[in-house]
Amino acid sequence: MNFKKQLKEGLLTKNPVLVQMLGMCSTLAISTSLFNGLGMGVAVTVITICSNMLISALRKVIPPQVRIAAYITIIAGFVTIVDLLLKAFIPALSESLGVFIPLIVVNCIVLGRAEGFASKHGVLASAVDGLCQGVGYTVALVLICIIRELLGSGTFGGGLLNGGEGIRIIPEGYPAMLVIMPVGGFLVLGCVLAASQWLTRRMERKTKKKEAAK
Amino acid sequence: MLKTESIFAYVAKITLTLLLIAALVAAALALVNQITEPIIDRVNAEKTQQAIQIVLPGGYEEVITDYTDETGLVTKVYKGAKGYALEVTPAGFDNTITMMVGVDFEGTVLGISIISHTESAGLGAVAAADNASGNAFREQFLGQSGSVSVSKDGGSIDAITNATITSRAICDGVNAALACVRTLEGGAA
Repeated sequence: MNFKKQLKEGLLTKNPVLVQMLGMCSTLAISTSLFNGLGMGVAVTVITICSNMLISALRKVIPPQVRIAAYITIIAGFVTIVDLLLKAFIPALSESLGVFIPLIVVNCIVLGRAEGFASKHGVLASAVDGLCQGVGYTVALVLICIIRELLGSGTFGGGLLNGGEGIRIIPEGYPAMLVIMPVGGFLVLGCVLAASQWLTRRMERKTKKKEAAK
Repeated sequence: MLKTESIFAYVAKITLTLLLIAALVAAALALVNQITEPIIDRVNAEKTQQAIQIVLPGGYEEVITDYTDETGLVTKVYKGAKGYALEVTPAGFDNTITMMVGVDFEGTVLGISIISHTESAGLGAVAAADNASGNAFREQFLGQSGSVSVSKDGGSIDAITNATITSRAICDGVNAALACVRTLEGGAA
């Protein structure tokens, strides 16, 4: 399979958050610190890879009439496993992500990839697709997290670096609380979307120009 | 039109496949749960232990099940040599906050510790944070007795900036704990 193409799709041209606009709920809700973003991103990536592989392996067995029900059952299984493992081994992360781990079940990225890719492709290709889409989600999420944490709390790497406090960049009292609140989530997401659209458009124009020059 | 027989086979096939998938997933979950359950229980117990250690020097000796609580916020009462540690669950801005309040036999707050919460990061979450502002907020409760409230409501507790609801919730929790200890000690005397 074409790994490079799939990775490019996941990261840029078909990025689940920035282009497909999937998984918005979790993106807005938990993007308040780097620790949350990375944890959520890795959890979604692992679940997408696993569910993609199993659904792809079962794609000839599952009757098309009940496929969505079957997919959701499989996805819910993996999500619950990840939830239990997090609670047991990384309780701090499980606590700070709270209900958003169980809610990965209804995250459109996972079901979207099952329906749109895994049900039509082989196991290996589906695993690669899960990885690329998961990485795309993680990168977008971490980007939003870094911006919100920096502007809203004035720190970098909260929950992760410097004994969980994060490295303070803006002195206490100055950061804009608003950015940490849900409103700020929407504002930052909008700005990131606009920036990514501008960048991809510019890249497209450049490649077109190059082709025209040929 | 499909024949009756083929409809039956069709429904049976769909149902059985779905049933099989559900059964497999359930079996996998049972297996994982068996491994993680004792670990999760231990992690939670350790957290409670730690919280008690923070608010009640010397730890606890017995769990008290026979207590009166009019607020409905007290979930557990531990008794130690220095006083009580009470687990209370006031309603915060987002969801219930689970916290431990240490109270001595005279009804004075020895310490508070927040076990779990889902308050907004950077606002209400400051109450639980182990940094300068979080500690400063919690230390205000030390030595308080009777009932506490935030300065906006005429009390002596300075609320966390932009998190009055969380601050009020913590006052509610502390008040519930103080009231519960009063009835416990009053009943004994």
